[in-house]
Amino acid sequence: MLQFRALLRQSLYVTAMLLFLQSCTTSVVVEGTVPTPLVSVIPARMGVYYSDEFRRFKHEEVFRDSGGWHIDLGKQNLRFFQNLTKSLFAEIQEVHQPPLTTEEMRNLDGVFIPSIEKYGFLTPSISGLKFYSASIEYRVAMYDKVGAKVGDWNIVGYGKSEGGLFSSDEAINEATVLAIRDGGARIAIELIDQPAVQAWLQSRHESFESSAGPPGVAENIESIESIENSETPENVDGDPDA
Amino acid sequence: MVTLMRNLPIALVLLPLLSGCVASRIEQSRDSSTGIESDEAIVLLGRASYNDKQTEEGFTECIADVLAGGDNPIRLIGQNQFRDDLYPWFEPRTAPTSADELGRLFTEPGVKERIASVNVRYLAWIDGDTITVDKGGSMSCTISTFGGGCFGMSYWEEDASYEAAIWDLKTMTSTGQISAEANGTSYLAGLIIPIPILARPGNAACKGLANQLREFIVGET
Repeated sequence: MLQFRALLRQSLYVTAMLLFLQSCTTSVVVEGTVPTPLVSVIPARMGVYYSDEFRRFKHEEVFRDSGGWHIDLGKQNLRFFQNLTKSLFAEIQEVHQPPLTTEEMRNLDGVFIPSIEKYGFLTPSISGLKFYSASIEYRVAMYDKVGAKVGDWNIVGYGKSEGGLFSSDEAINEATVLAIRDGGARIAIELIDQPAVQAWLQSRHESFESSAGPPGVAENIESIESIENSETPENVDGDPDA
Repeated sequence: MVTLMRNLPIALVLLPLLSGCVASRIEQSRDSSTGIESDEAIVLLGRASYNDKQTEEGFTECIADVLAGGDNPIRLIGQNQFRDDLYPWFEPRTAPTSADELGRLFTEPGVKERIASVNVRYLAWIDGDTITVDKGGSMSCTISTFGGGCFGMSYWEEDASYEAAIWDLKTMTSTGQISAEANGTSYLAGLIIPIPILARPGNAACKGLANQLREFIVGET
Protein backbone atom coordinates (compact mmCIF):
# COMPACT_ATOMS: atom_id res chain seq x y z
CA MET A 1 0.00 0.00 0.00
CA LEU A 2 2.87 2.34 0.88
CA GLN A 3 4.57 1.50 -2.37
CA PHE A 4 1.36 2.29 -4.26
CA ARG A 5 1.11 5.67 -2.54
CA ALA A 6 4.73 6.47 -3.36
CA LEU A 7 4.15 5.48 -6.96
CA LEU A 8 1.00 7.60 -7.10
CA ARG A 9 2.85 10.58 -5.64
CA GLN A 10 5.67 10.20 -8.12
CA SER A 11 3.19 9.96 -10.99
CA LEU A 12 1.53 13.16 -9.81
CA TYR A 13 4.91 14.92 -9.62
CA VAL A 14 5.82 13.75 -13.12
CA THR A 15 2.41 14.80 -14.49
CA ALA A 16 2.69 18.21 -12.82
CA MET A 17 6.21 18.63 -14.19
CA LEU A 18 5.07 17.63 -17.69
CA LEU A 19 2.16 20.06 -17.50
CA PHE A 20 4.54 22.79 -16.33
CA LEU A 21 6.99 22.09 -19.16
CA GLN A 22 4.13 21.92 -21.65
CA SER A 23 2.82 25.30 -20.50
CA CYS A 24 6.29 26.83 -21.01
CA THR A 25 6.69 25.55 -24.56
CA THR A 26 5.54 27.70 -27.45
CA SER A 27 4.63 25.77 -30.58
CA VAL A 28 4.59 27.53 -33.92
CA VAL A 29 3.52 25.98 -37.22
CA VAL A 30 4.86 28.49 -39.72
CA GLU A 31 2.28 29.67 -42.24
CA GLY A 32 2.31 32.51 -44.73
CA THR A 33 1.81 33.58 -48.30
CA VAL A 34 3.71 31.94 -51.14
CA PRO A 35 4.45 34.61 -53.75
CA THR A 36 5.37 33.71 -57.31
CA PRO A 37 8.68 35.31 -58.34
CA LEU A 38 8.85 37.63 -61.36
CA VAL A 39 12.33 36.65 -62.56
CA SER A 40 14.21 35.49 -65.62
CA VAL A 41 13.69 31.78 -66.19
CA ILE A 42 16.78 29.57 -66.27
CA PRO A 43 16.34 27.64 -69.52
CA ALA A 44 16.82 24.16 -68.12
CA ARG A 45 14.70 21.14 -67.24
CA MET A 46 15.61 20.37 -63.66
CA GLY A 47 14.97 17.54 -61.29
CA VAL A 48 14.45 18.90 -57.77
CA TYR A 49 15.22 16.77 -54.76
CA TYR A 50 13.76 17.69 -51.35
CA SER A 51 15.13 15.53 -48.55
CA ASP A 52 12.83 14.34 -45.77
CA GLU A 53 14.65 16.68 -43.39
CA PHE A 54 13.90 19.62 -45.70
CA ARG A 55 10.26 18.60 -46.08
CA ARG A 56 9.71 18.25 -42.34
CA PHE A 57 12.16 20.76 -40.94
CA LYS A 58 11.55 21.55 -37.28
CA HIS A 59 13.53 23.59 -34.82
CA GLU A 60 13.48 23.07 -31.08
CA GLU A 61 15.22 25.28 -28.57
CA VAL A 62 14.90 26.05 -24.89
CA PHE A 63 15.75 29.46 -23.46
CA ARG A 64 16.10 30.01 -19.74
CA ASP A 65 14.01 33.22 -19.90
CA SER A 66 11.33 32.47 -22.46
CA GLY A 67 10.95 28.69 -22.15
CA GLY A 68 10.89 26.12 -24.90
CA TRP A 69 10.15 26.76 -28.56
CA HIS A 70 9.01 24.22 -31.10
CA ILE A 71 8.96 25.71 -34.59
CA ASP A 72 7.69 23.67 -37.52
CA LEU A 73 8.64 25.40 -40.76
CA GLY A 74 8.89 22.37 -43.07
CA LYS A 75 5.51 22.67 -44.77
CA GLN A 76 5.72 26.42 -45.50
CA ASN A 77 9.32 26.10 -46.64
CA LEU A 78 8.48 23.22 -49.00
CA ARG A 79 5.48 25.05 -50.49
CA PHE A 80 7.66 28.12 -50.97
CA PHE A 81 10.45 26.22 -52.75
CA GLN A 82 8.03 24.24 -54.92
CA ASN A 83 6.62 27.55 -56.16
CA LEU A 84 10.05 29.17 -56.43
CA THR A 85 11.61 26.39 -58.53
CA LYS A 86 8.55 26.30 -60.78
CA SER A 87 9.19 29.97 -61.65
CA LEU A 88 12.97 29.71 -61.70
CA PHE A 89 13.46 26.88 -64.19
CA ALA A 90 11.86 26.20 -67.57
CA GLU A 91 10.62 22.81 -66.34
CA ILE A 92 10.85 21.01 -63.03
CA GLN A 93 10.19 17.52 -61.81
CA GLU A 94 10.54 16.27 -58.23
CA VAL A 95 12.98 13.37 -58.08
CA HIS A 96 14.26 10.89 -55.51
CA GLN A 97 17.65 11.18 -53.86
CA PRO A 98 20.47 11.31 -56.45
CA PRO A 99 22.28 9.64 -58.13
CA LEU A 100 19.64 9.18 -60.81
CA THR A 101 19.95 6.66 -63.59
CA THR A 102 20.59 7.68 -67.20
CA GLU A 103 17.01 6.73 -67.96
CA GLU A 104 15.71 8.99 -65.16
CA MET A 105 17.88 11.85 -66.43
CA ARG A 106 16.69 11.41 -70.03
CA ASN A 107 14.30 14.39 -69.88
CA LEU A 108 16.32 16.42 -67.38
CA ASP A 109 19.28 18.77 -67.82
CA GLY A 110 20.34 18.70 -64.19
CA VAL A 111 19.33 18.34 -60.57
CA PHE A 112 18.72 21.11 -58.05
CA ILE A 113 18.96 20.30 -54.33
CA PRO A 114 18.03 22.84 -51.66
CA SER A 115 18.73 22.09 -48.01
CA ILE A 116 18.57 23.94 -44.71
CA GLU A 117 21.91 24.20 -42.95
CA LYS A 118 20.85 26.29 -39.96
CA TYR A 119 17.82 27.99 -38.53
CA GLY A 120 17.92 30.39 -35.61
CA PHE A 121 15.80 33.03 -34.00
CA LEU A 122 16.01 35.71 -31.33
CA THR A 123 13.36 37.11 -29.03
CA PRO A 124 13.46 40.71 -27.72
CA SER A 125 14.43 39.42 -24.27
CA ILE A 126 17.58 37.87 -25.75
CA SER A 127 18.54 40.49 -28.33
CA GLY A 128 17.51 43.55 -26.33
CA LEU A 129 15.83 44.92 -29.47
CA LYS A 130 12.16 45.60 -30.10
CA PHE A 131 11.91 42.79 -32.65
CA TYR A 132 11.73 39.05 -33.01
CA SER A 133 14.17 37.94 -35.68
CA ALA A 134 14.84 34.72 -37.56
CA SER A 135 17.53 33.54 -39.94
CA ILE A 136 17.76 30.52 -42.23
CA GLU A 137 20.93 29.38 -43.91
CA TYR A 138 20.15 27.49 -47.10
CA ARG A 139 22.54 25.49 -49.20
CA VAL A 140 21.56 25.00 -52.81
CA ALA A 141 23.48 22.59 -55.01
CA MET A 142 23.19 22.08 -58.76
CA TYR A 143 24.34 19.03 -60.69
CA ASP A 144 24.52 18.59 -64.45
CA LYS A 145 23.06 15.79 -66.56
CA VAL A 146 25.87 13.35 -65.74
CA GLY A 147 25.84 14.11 -62.01
CA ALA A 148 28.87 16.42 -61.93
CA LYS A 149 28.48 19.33 -59.55
CA VAL A 150 27.83 22.67 -61.27
CA GLY A 151 28.18 24.48 -57.98
CA ASP A 152 26.78 24.94 -54.51
CA TRP A 153 26.01 28.14 -52.67
CA ASN A 154 25.10 29.18 -49.17
CA ILE A 155 22.35 31.78 -48.87
CA VAL A 156 21.23 33.32 -45.60
CA GLY A 157 17.71 34.69 -45.31
CA TYR A 158 16.77 37.14 -42.56
CA GLY A 159 13.44 38.25 -41.23
CA LYS A 160 12.24 40.33 -38.32
CA SER A 161 8.89 41.23 -36.89
CA GLU A 162 7.44 43.46 -34.23
CA GLY A 163 5.82 41.45 -31.51
CA GLY A 164 3.59 42.12 -28.56
CA LEU A 165 3.96 40.57 -25.13
CA PHE A 166 1.22 38.04 -25.83
CA SER A 167 1.82 37.37 -29.51
CA SER A 168 5.35 36.01 -29.57
CA ASP A 169 4.28 32.97 -31.62
CA GLU A 170 2.79 35.23 -34.33
CA ALA A 171 5.93 37.35 -34.36
CA ILE A 172 8.20 34.29 -34.74
CA ASN A 173 5.91 33.01 -37.50
CA GLU A 174 6.16 36.31 -39.37
CA ALA A 175 9.92 36.63 -38.88
CA THR A 176 10.40 33.06 -40.19
CA VAL A 177 8.16 33.65 -43.21
CA LEU A 178 10.16 36.80 -43.98
CA ALA A 179 13.44 34.89 -43.61
CA ILE A 180 12.21 32.25 -46.10
CA ARG A 181 11.14 35.03 -48.49
CA ASP A 182 14.48 36.80 -48.13
CA GLY A 183 16.47 33.63 -48.83
CA GLY A 184 14.17 32.80 -51.75
CA ALA A 185 14.57 36.32 -53.17
CA ARG A 186 18.36 35.97 -53.17
CA ILE A 187 18.13 32.60 -54.94
CA ALA A 188 15.58 33.86 -57.47
CA ILE A 189 17.61 36.95 -58.38
CA GLU A 190 21.20 35.84 -58.03
CA LEU A 191 21.38 32.17 -58.97
CA ILE A 192 21.20 32.88 -62.69
CA ASP A 193 24.11 35.33 -62.41
CA GLN A 194 26.48 32.90 -60.72
CA PRO A 195 29.54 32.32 -62.93
CA ALA A 196 29.25 28.52 -62.55
CA VAL A 197 25.61 28.58 -63.67
CA GLN A 198 26.45 30.85 -66.59
CA ALA A 199 29.33 28.55 -67.61
CA TRP A 200 27.03 25.52 -67.39
CA LEU A 201 24.34 27.22 -69.50
CA GLN A 202 27.00 28.27 -72.00
CA SER A 203 28.37 24.73 -72.26
CA ARG A 204 24.84 23.42 -72.80
CA HIS A 205 24.30 26.09 -75.44
CA GLU A 206 27.48 25.04 -77.24
CA SER A 207 26.54 21.36 -77.10
CA PHE A 208 23.08 22.25 -78.46
CA GLU A 209 24.65 24.25 -81.26
CA SER A 210 26.93 21.37 -82.20
CA SER A 211 24.06 18.89 -82.12
CA ALA A 212 21.46 21.36 -83.53
CA GLY A 213 19.10 21.10 -80.57
CA PRO A 214 15.41 22.01 -80.42
CA PRO A 215 14.80 25.61 -81.57
CA GLY A 216 12.70 26.60 -78.54
CA VAL A 217 15.47 25.80 -76.06
CA ALA A 218 18.11 27.57 -78.17
CA GLU A 219 15.98 30.75 -78.15
CA ASN A 220 15.81 30.65 -74.36
CA ILE A 221 19.57 30.30 -74.10
CA GLU A 222 20.03 33.34 -76.32
CA SER A 223 17.92 35.36 -73.89
CA ILE A 224 20.22 34.31 -71.05
CA GLU A 225 23.27 35.50 -72.96
CA SER A 226 22.05 39.08 -72.70
CA ILE A 227 22.12 38.76 -68.89
CA GLU A 228 25.68 37.45 -69.03
CA ASN A 229 26.96 40.97 -69.60
CA SER A 230 25.52 42.21 -66.31
CA GLU A 231 27.58 42.38 -63.14
CA THR A 232 27.89 38.96 -61.53
CA PRO A 233 28.26 38.70 -57.76
CA GLU A 234 31.04 36.44 -56.53
CA ASN A 235 29.00 34.89 -53.79
CA VAL A 236 25.27 34.69 -53.19
CA ASP A 237 25.79 34.90 -49.46
CA GLY A 238 26.38 38.37 -48.12
CA ASP A 239 26.25 40.87 -45.34
CA PRO A 240 22.65 41.50 -44.30
CA ASP A 241 23.24 45.20 -43.99
CA ALA A 242 24.78 45.45 -47.41
CA MET B 1 -16.87 61.23 0.58
CA VAL B 2 -20.22 60.44 -1.10
CA THR B 3 -19.58 63.18 -3.68
CA LEU B 4 -16.13 61.78 -4.34
CA MET B 5 -17.54 58.29 -4.88
CA ARG B 6 -20.26 59.69 -7.16
CA ASN B 7 -17.73 61.54 -9.33
CA LEU B 8 -15.25 58.68 -9.45
CA PRO B 9 -16.83 56.88 -12.45
CA ILE B 10 -16.93 60.16 -14.39
CA ALA B 11 -13.29 60.79 -13.56
CA LEU B 12 -12.37 57.26 -14.64
CA VAL B 13 -14.08 57.80 -18.01
CA LEU B 14 -12.42 61.15 -18.55
CA LEU B 15 -8.92 60.12 -17.48
CA PRO B 16 -7.92 58.43 -20.72
CA LEU B 17 -8.89 61.64 -22.52
CA LEU B 18 -6.11 63.52 -20.79
CA SER B 19 -3.30 64.00 -23.20
CA GLY B 20 0.14 65.46 -22.90
CA CYS B 21 1.58 68.17 -25.12
CA VAL B 22 3.20 67.23 -28.40
CA ALA B 23 5.38 69.56 -30.47
CA SER B 24 5.56 68.62 -34.13
CA ARG B 25 7.18 69.94 -37.28
CA ILE B 26 6.46 69.01 -40.92
CA GLU B 27 8.81 69.90 -43.76
CA GLN B 28 8.50 69.30 -47.44
CA SER B 29 10.80 69.47 -50.40
CA ARG B 30 9.43 69.13 -53.92
CA ASP B 31 11.50 68.01 -56.90
CA SER B 32 8.75 68.00 -59.54
CA SER B 33 5.04 68.64 -60.02
CA THR B 34 2.52 65.97 -59.05
CA GLY B 35 -1.10 65.02 -59.60
CA ILE B 36 -3.20 61.89 -59.47
CA GLU B 37 -6.21 60.60 -61.40
CA SER B 38 -9.09 58.98 -59.52
CA ASP B 39 -8.24 55.51 -60.89
CA GLU B 40 -4.56 55.78 -60.02
CA ALA B 41 -3.22 54.41 -56.74
CA ILE B 42 -0.47 54.95 -54.19
CA VAL B 43 1.53 52.31 -52.39
CA LEU B 44 2.99 53.06 -48.96
CA LEU B 45 5.99 50.90 -48.15
CA GLY B 46 7.71 50.85 -44.77
CA ARG B 47 11.50 50.73 -45.03
CA ALA B 48 13.03 47.77 -43.24
CA SER B 49 16.70 47.18 -42.61
CA TYR B 50 18.53 44.57 -40.62
CA ASN B 51 19.75 46.83 -37.87
CA ASP B 52 17.85 47.68 -34.70
CA LYS B 53 15.44 50.06 -36.46
CA GLN B 54 12.43 49.49 -38.64
CA THR B 55 9.39 51.56 -39.56
CA GLU B 56 6.53 50.22 -37.45
CA GLU B 57 3.77 48.57 -39.49
CA GLY B 58 1.23 50.44 -37.36
CA PHE B 59 2.66 53.78 -38.52
CA THR B 60 2.28 52.91 -42.22
CA GLU B 61 -1.25 51.63 -41.52
CA CYS B 62 -2.07 54.89 -39.71
CA ILE B 63 -1.02 56.94 -42.77
CA ALA B 64 -3.00 54.61 -45.05
CA ASP B 65 -6.11 55.08 -42.90
CA VAL B 66 -5.83 58.88 -43.10
CA LEU B 67 -5.22 58.89 -46.88
CA ALA B 68 -8.06 56.45 -47.59
CA GLY B 69 -10.53 58.49 -45.53
CA GLY B 70 -11.71 62.09 -45.54
CA ASP B 71 -13.38 64.13 -48.27
CA ASN B 72 -10.76 63.42 -50.88
CA PRO B 73 -9.78 59.75 -50.46
CA ILE B 74 -6.83 58.35 -52.38
CA ARG B 75 -6.82 54.79 -53.74
CA LEU B 76 -4.22 52.72 -51.92
CA ILE B 77 -2.70 49.32 -52.63
CA GLY B 78 -1.73 47.41 -49.47
CA GLN B 79 1.99 46.98 -48.96
CA ASN B 80 1.77 43.22 -48.38
CA GLN B 81 -0.22 42.71 -51.55
CA PHE B 82 2.20 44.90 -53.52
CA ARG B 83 5.24 43.06 -52.15
CA ASP B 84 3.67 39.69 -53.00
CA ASP B 85 2.68 40.83 -56.50
CA LEU B 86 6.18 42.10 -57.23
CA TYR B 87 8.17 39.47 -55.36
CA PRO B 88 11.21 39.41 -55.14
CA TRP B 89 11.85 43.06 -56.08
CA PHE B 90 10.49 44.90 -53.02
CA GLU B 91 11.91 42.74 -50.22
CA PRO B 92 14.02 44.55 -47.57
CA ARG B 93 17.32 43.59 -49.22
CA THR B 94 16.27 43.79 -52.85
CA ALA B 95 14.09 46.90 -52.97
CA PRO B 96 15.41 49.87 -54.94
CA THR B 97 17.10 52.40 -52.67
CA SER B 98 16.70 55.35 -55.04
CA ALA B 99 14.36 56.32 -57.88
CA ASP B 100 17.31 56.02 -60.27
CA GLU B 101 17.11 52.24 -59.86
CA LEU B 102 13.51 52.13 -61.13
CA GLY B 103 14.62 52.13 -64.77
CA ARG B 104 16.65 48.94 -64.25
CA LEU B 105 13.85 47.36 -62.21
CA PHE B 106 11.29 48.00 -64.93
CA THR B 107 13.37 45.98 -67.39
CA GLU B 108 12.92 42.85 -65.26
CA PRO B 109 10.39 40.44 -66.77
CA GLY B 110 6.81 41.21 -65.82
CA VAL B 111 7.53 44.08 -63.41
CA LYS B 112 6.30 46.95 -65.61
CA GLU B 113 3.18 45.01 -66.64
CA ARG B 114 2.36 44.03 -63.05
CA ILE B 115 2.62 47.66 -61.84
CA ALA B 116 0.54 48.84 -64.80
CA SER B 117 -2.14 46.23 -64.09
CA VAL B 118 -2.85 47.70 -60.65
CA ASN B 119 -2.34 51.28 -61.93
CA VAL B 120 0.09 52.38 -59.21
CA ARG B 121 1.21 55.95 -59.87
CA TYR B 122 3.18 56.81 -56.73
CA LEU B 123 5.33 54.87 -54.33
CA ALA B 124 5.90 56.46 -50.92
CA TRP B 125 8.71 54.99 -48.84
CA ILE B 126 8.09 55.61 -45.16
CA ASP B 127 11.23 55.56 -43.07
CA GLY B 128 11.70 56.32 -39.39
CA ASP B 129 10.61 55.29 -35.93
CA THR B 130 9.53 56.45 -32.50
CA ILE B 131 12.04 56.10 -29.70
CA THR B 132 12.05 56.82 -25.98
CA VAL B 133 14.75 59.41 -25.36
CA ASP B 134 14.31 59.93 -21.63
CA LYS B 135 12.43 58.44 -18.71
CA GLY B 136 12.39 58.82 -14.97
CA GLY B 137 10.41 59.12 -11.76
CA SER B 138 8.98 56.27 -9.75
CA MET B 139 5.60 54.95 -8.79
CA SER B 140 4.60 52.13 -6.49
CA CYS B 141 1.28 50.40 -6.11
CA THR B 142 0.17 48.39 -3.09
CA ILE B 143 -2.87 46.29 -2.36
CA SER B 144 -4.00 44.95 0.99
CA THR B 145 -7.16 43.71 2.73
CA PHE B 146 -7.94 47.35 3.66
CA GLY B 147 -7.67 48.60 0.08
CA GLY B 148 -4.86 49.73 -2.15
CA GLY B 149 -3.50 52.52 -4.24
CA CYS B 150 -0.64 53.91 -6.29
CA PHE B 151 1.64 56.77 -5.25
CA GLY B 152 4.39 58.58 -7.11
CA MET B 153 4.95 59.78 -10.63
CA SER B 154 6.84 58.53 -13.66
CA TYR B 155 7.42 60.10 -17.05
CA TRP B 156 8.88 59.21 -20.41
CA GLU B 157 9.77 61.39 -23.37
CA GLU B 158 9.38 60.09 -26.92
CA ASP B 159 10.73 61.36 -30.23
CA ALA B 160 9.01 60.42 -33.48
CA SER B 161 10.97 61.09 -36.63
CA TYR B 162 9.70 59.93 -40.04
CA GLU B 163 10.29 60.71 -43.68
CA ALA B 164 8.29 59.91 -46.78
CA ALA B 165 10.18 59.73 -50.09
CA ILE B 166 7.73 59.90 -52.98
CA TRP B 167 8.55 58.32 -56.35
CA ASP B 168 6.50 58.76 -59.49
CA LEU B 169 6.34 55.39 -61.24
CA LYS B 170 5.06 57.00 -64.45
CA THR B 171 8.10 59.22 -64.91
CA MET B 172 10.40 56.96 -62.83
CA THR B 173 11.68 59.94 -60.86
CA SER B 174 11.70 61.15 -57.29
CA THR B 175 9.08 63.86 -56.82
CA GLY B 176 10.01 64.95 -53.33
CA GLN B 177 10.30 64.22 -49.62
CA ILE B 178 8.21 65.06 -46.59
CA SER B 179 9.56 64.80 -43.08
CA ALA B 180 7.64 64.82 -39.82
CA GLU B 181 9.09 65.16 -36.37
CA ALA B 182 7.16 65.14 -33.13
CA ASN B 183 8.20 65.12 -29.51
CA GLY B 184 6.18 64.68 -26.37
CA THR B 185 6.42 63.66 -22.73
CA SER B 186 3.90 61.32 -21.12
CA TYR B 187 3.21 61.14 -17.39
CA LEU B 188 1.75 58.53 -15.10
CA ALA B 189 0.73 60.06 -11.79
CA GLY B 190 -0.26 57.82 -8.89
CA LEU B 191 -2.92 59.52 -6.72
CA ILE B 192 -4.53 56.40 -5.27
CA ILE B 193 -5.50 55.48 -8.83
CA PRO B 194 -2.91 55.78 -11.63
CA ILE B 195 -3.68 58.78 -13.85
CA PRO B 196 -2.10 58.58 -17.30
CA ILE B 197 -1.41 61.78 -19.23
CA LEU B 198 -0.26 60.46 -22.55
CA ALA B 199 1.50 62.35 -25.30
CA ARG B 200 1.38 60.47 -28.59
CA PRO B 201 4.11 61.87 -30.82
CA GLY B 202 3.85 58.88 -33.21
CA ASN B 203 0.19 59.64 -33.80
CA ALA B 204 0.89 63.35 -34.29
CA ALA B 205 3.67 62.56 -36.79
CA CYS B 206 1.37 60.13 -38.65
CA LYS B 207 -1.46 62.64 -39.04
CA GLY B 208 0.88 65.48 -39.97
CA LEU B 209 2.73 63.38 -42.52
CA ALA B 210 -0.44 61.88 -44.02
CA ASN B 211 -2.17 65.25 -44.48
CA GLN B 212 0.95 66.76 -46.01
CA LEU B 213 1.35 63.72 -48.27
CA ARG B 214 -2.23 64.12 -49.52
CA GLU B 215 -1.63 67.81 -50.26
CA PHE B 216 1.68 67.01 -51.90
CA ILE B 217 0.18 64.47 -54.28
CA VAL B 218 -3.14 66.08 -55.19
CA GLY B 219 -2.36 69.73 -54.45
CA GLU B 220 -0.09 70.69 -57.31
CA THR B 221 -0.56 69.54 -60.89
